[in-house]
Amino acid sequence: MARSLWTGSLSFGLVNVPVQLSSAVRDVGIHFRQLHAKTHRPVDVKRFCSAEDVEVQYRDVAHGYELDDNVVIVTDEDLETVEPRKTRTIEIEAFVPLSGVDPAYFNHPYVLLPIGDSEGTLRAYQLLVEVMATTDRAALGRFVMRTKEYLVLVRAREGRLSLVTLLWHDEVRESTGIAPAGRAKKAAVEQTVALIEELSVDWDPSRYEDRHRERLASVIERKRKGGTVKAPKPEREPAATPDLMAALEQSLAKMKLEGLSKQELLERAADEDVDGRSNMSRDELMEALS
Amino acid sequence: MPRSIFNATICFGLVNVPIKLHTATDNKTVSFREVHESDGAPLEHRRVDPESGDEVDFGDIVKGYEISEGEFVELSKEEVKAAAGDRTKTIPIEEFVPAADIDPIYWAKTYHLGPREGGEDAYKALQKALEQTKRAGIGRMTFHDREYLVAVRALEGVLGLHTLHFADEVVDAGEFDLSEPQRGPSQREVKLAASLIDTLSDDFTPEKYDDSYRERVLKMIEAKAKGKQIVRSEPDEPAEESDLFAALQASVKGVKG
Repeated sequence: MARSLWTGSLSFGLVNVPVQLSSAVRDVGIHFRQLHAKTHRPVDVKRFCSAEDVEVQYRDVAHGYELDDNVVIVTDEDLETVEPRKTRTIEIEAFVPLSGVDPAYFNHPYVLLPIGDSEGTLRAYQLLVEVMATTDRAALGRFVMRTKEYLVLVRAREGRLSLVTLLWHDEVRESTGIAPAGRAKKAAVEQTVALIEELSVDWDPSRYEDRHRERLASVIERKRKGGTVKAPKPEREPAATPDLMAALEQSLAKMKLEGLSKQELLERAADEDVDGRSNMSRDELMEALS
Repeated sequence: MPRSIFNATICFGLVNVPIKLHTATDNKTVSFREVHESDGAPLEHRRVDPESGDEVDFGDIVKGYEISEGEFVELSKEEVKAAAGDRTKTIPIEEFVPAADIDPIYWAKTYHLGPREGGEDAYKALQKALEQTKRAGIGRMTFHDREYLVAVRALEGVLGLHTLHFADEVVDAGEFDLSEPQRGPSQREVKLAASLIDTLSDDFTPEKYDDSYRERVLKMIEAKAKGKQIVRSEPDEPAEESDLFAALQASVKGVKG
């Protein structure tokens, strides 16, 4: 069972459901320790006062905030004084269309689960799951975790309540000045749409593996066996496509050929009178036809 | 024009679109420096050899992967880099998926893409075509020696790039145990709850919500800088609701009234 990061209640109108929050993503990355190259031992990281050059214990650490060239020292007790009042509740304020929230706002995903086995809690939780599953809206609310206030979306996902924290509006930048001037050419857009359609598949996240993690694991394995590891030569950046329409047309032509069987490619080659076609491989046929 | 942080070329079909990457999000949480409580001096994190107590230079640090207690496989910075692969300059896009089908759980961090010289026409065509088809291009990007799964999609007038979580990072719903109530919610309760959703329906207008906590922290810091006394207020505790139907009914009345 995943660790709960926060407990409190989800407040929907006058209905309160006691819930706990767990992360919906886990860290599966490969982690390293910092070793001293000479002694091969892990190093410790210690805090030192930059003025006195002495080690500082954790209990003697305060938070410093730079304000007009001065450092204001803030303690945990100071921060507690400004903690929002309703610290144990996720208060739902509105129901918004999920499609109306740009993914740029999504921050971290969590799951909300009911606390305890009381019939009332379980029923209220299930009611929210059922009713949220029938709407394409998500509940917008806020809550406080540790010392930070979050704007969150709650919705039903796979029979449970899923919560995602959102960025605040001033944390999402405007894109002014980034796009190139002028409109796209209609013909180029049409051909790009056609190419996108050719390359379209269903979204199936299980098809994508973290190849970086796999490569890192294999680097570790080779080193463990006493082998050597060399970085691959960095690739050269390809040049920008000089003739967009030609590149789009060639891409589409290639896609169409790729969809043909070898027999169909041979027939196409016969139609176009390609020399030496009967001894060609599939790739050679495609090359000759494109 | 905002500064870019990285240059690469998006490749799909035989089309190469040189782009630059711009940060699209900022974390505005009030952040503090660690200081020494007694004199307010900033703290330094130093790497120290645990036996000799001597400081260790960053240049003398290697990465150690612990294969068993106290036994490490050592990797130099170059060897760690080797795992980044060789596609460091391109963002190959092999396929396109309906953007709305990507569950919110998968989205990680967002960037804006700008065009580079010679790529303006292809940039504009791709942006418009993604907007029309409502699709996202799925590809890989190597950034700071790490390969990410990315989705390229049309934002308002620009191309956006989002890093995505890998499927094995997402916890299966089945791993979160859930007990079922003996009696499920009644039709009446579902109907009432649905009508509460209807009454509370609104568009998502992010500007309506401010991080009030951030504002209070900043005010408190200013007050403290002026030497004012800081006082704490007590949090409210909500009561658990026992009569689900009555609570729903009262909520709907409350909202409508």
